[in-house]
Amino acid sequence: MRKWQCTTCGDIYDEAIGDPDSGIAPGTRFEDIPDDWMCPTCGSTKDSFEPYTE
Amino acid sequence: MSTPIIPTELVAPIWNPASYANRDAVEQIFATLRRDYPLAMCEVPGYKPHWIVTKYKDVREVSRLDDIFHSGDISKTPASIMAEAMMAEYSGGKPHIFRTLVHMDKPDHTEYRNVVKDVFMPQNVATLKDGVLASAREFADQMADMNGECDFAETIAMRYPLQVICDQIGLPREDHATMLRLTQWFLSYADPDLCRPGSVLTDPEQQIKTWQIVYDEFKSYYTDLVAQRRAAPRKDLATLIAHGQIHGQPMDERGMISYFVIASTAGHDTTAATIGNAMWILARDPGLFSRIKADRSLISGFVEEAIRISTPPMAFVRSATQDYELSGQQIKKGDRLYVSYLSANKDEEVFDAPFAFQPDRTPNRHIGFGFGSHICVGQHLARLEMRTLWEELFERLEWVEMAGEGQWQESEFVCGPKRVPIRYKMN
Repeated sequence: MRKWQCTTCGDIYDEAIGDPDSGIAPGTRFEDIPDDWMCPTCGSTKDSFEPYTE
Repeated sequence: MSTPIIPTELVAPIWNPASYANRDAVEQIFATLRRDYPLAMCEVPGYKPHWIVTKYKDVREVSRLDDIFHSGDISKTPASIMAEAMMAEYSGGKPHIFRTLVHMDKPDHTEYRNVVKDVFMPQNVATLKDGVLASAREFADQMADMNGECDFAETIAMRYPLQVICDQIGLPREDHATMLRLTQWFLSYADPDLCRPGSVLTDPEQQIKTWQIVYDEFKSYYTDLVAQRRAAPRKDLATLIAHGQIHGQPMDERGMISYFVIASTAGHDTTAATIGNAMWILARDPGLFSRIKADRSLISGFVEEAIRISTPPMAFVRSATQDYELSGQQIKKGDRLYVSYLSANKDEEVFDAPFAFQPDRTPNRHIGFGFGSHICVGQHLARLEMRTLWEELFERLEWVEMAGEGQWQESEFVCGPKRVPIRYKMN
């Protein structure tokens, strides 16, 4: 499971957690998220996210 | 469909800074607008017509579509026709006195934001925790030394976030009070207690005159600092801004001074407003205080709910660059939109019991920091400041109650409490 970061607001998409409020189940790989998904914090598009390592 | 028009007597108070002294009345106006005029036009005498955008969904949509709803073409706050003319006169034909991140569109907005963006990403903000904690403890100690009674707004809420951001900018501690004074002149220009001494509040030209004075004061202060940092760089925000490159060139003067203005004002005033209001809420609700003191895992939710309830930057104005259909209404190219974050964060269709303070509210997707590419660049630092202070205060406070009447600022743009007199016991 990987993490991705929104380059606009810094929000983290954690594949292990998903984005249940937006209908993205835990365990959903970033590549499998629909293209019209938006950053839940700032509304940036999916292509605004970059791989994130701690 | 004809354009719905909001009765002037209903909407005119939201244009008037004095209205905001009565927060409940303002919230009631927006509740009425959400119910009866969720997206409608207002035509207040002396102002150009504006759409009033009240619903969460619409506010997010307008805020996200930066290319369609511009930030930089007209005043960011509701300005009278006369005020707009004065701003153009003072700025050499521009629609604003200041040219901060909130007054820009792509590509400039992206370039300017990139100058400091990395510093404010959460992984880098996390490295500031020790310094923030030291400031939080310093102010908690001050509070403990006040014999169990203080005006929390004036002594703690306004000064703790001020210290944190001014330390990050690289300002000497003895200059922090100057930054607070200029912030209040700028953002609370119409409040009789916080406005610039000598302001004539009955003068309709006062707002723009004050803003020009504030700009000149900041310019006078920061011009020297920029020269210092260019000559001798340090690890601080002032150095980053002084060396900032925009499209491969140094920032122009107005852009650079305005960058320091937004860091020195919005960098603490909104956090101060949220902290002050949170204490006001706690001091009136001993059950809430006891609940969080007993379960500190609620502090993060407490902070988020305080941001939602407070929403200190209450609205921004945008202008349409093209025709656009929004929730069934036809927005025309050139139309102005008053985008109310205060209203969106109380939208009954999104937030159950929106006026109830619920630290365990889930989800709590408020837009107190804005939405879209203009979302507050300092949001992660603001959260760190608030969580750190409240962890310290919930550890040390045994009880707290109001010791008098709280008071809201008279401000139609950024608004928070100016007085929160409390009585308390802390170790």
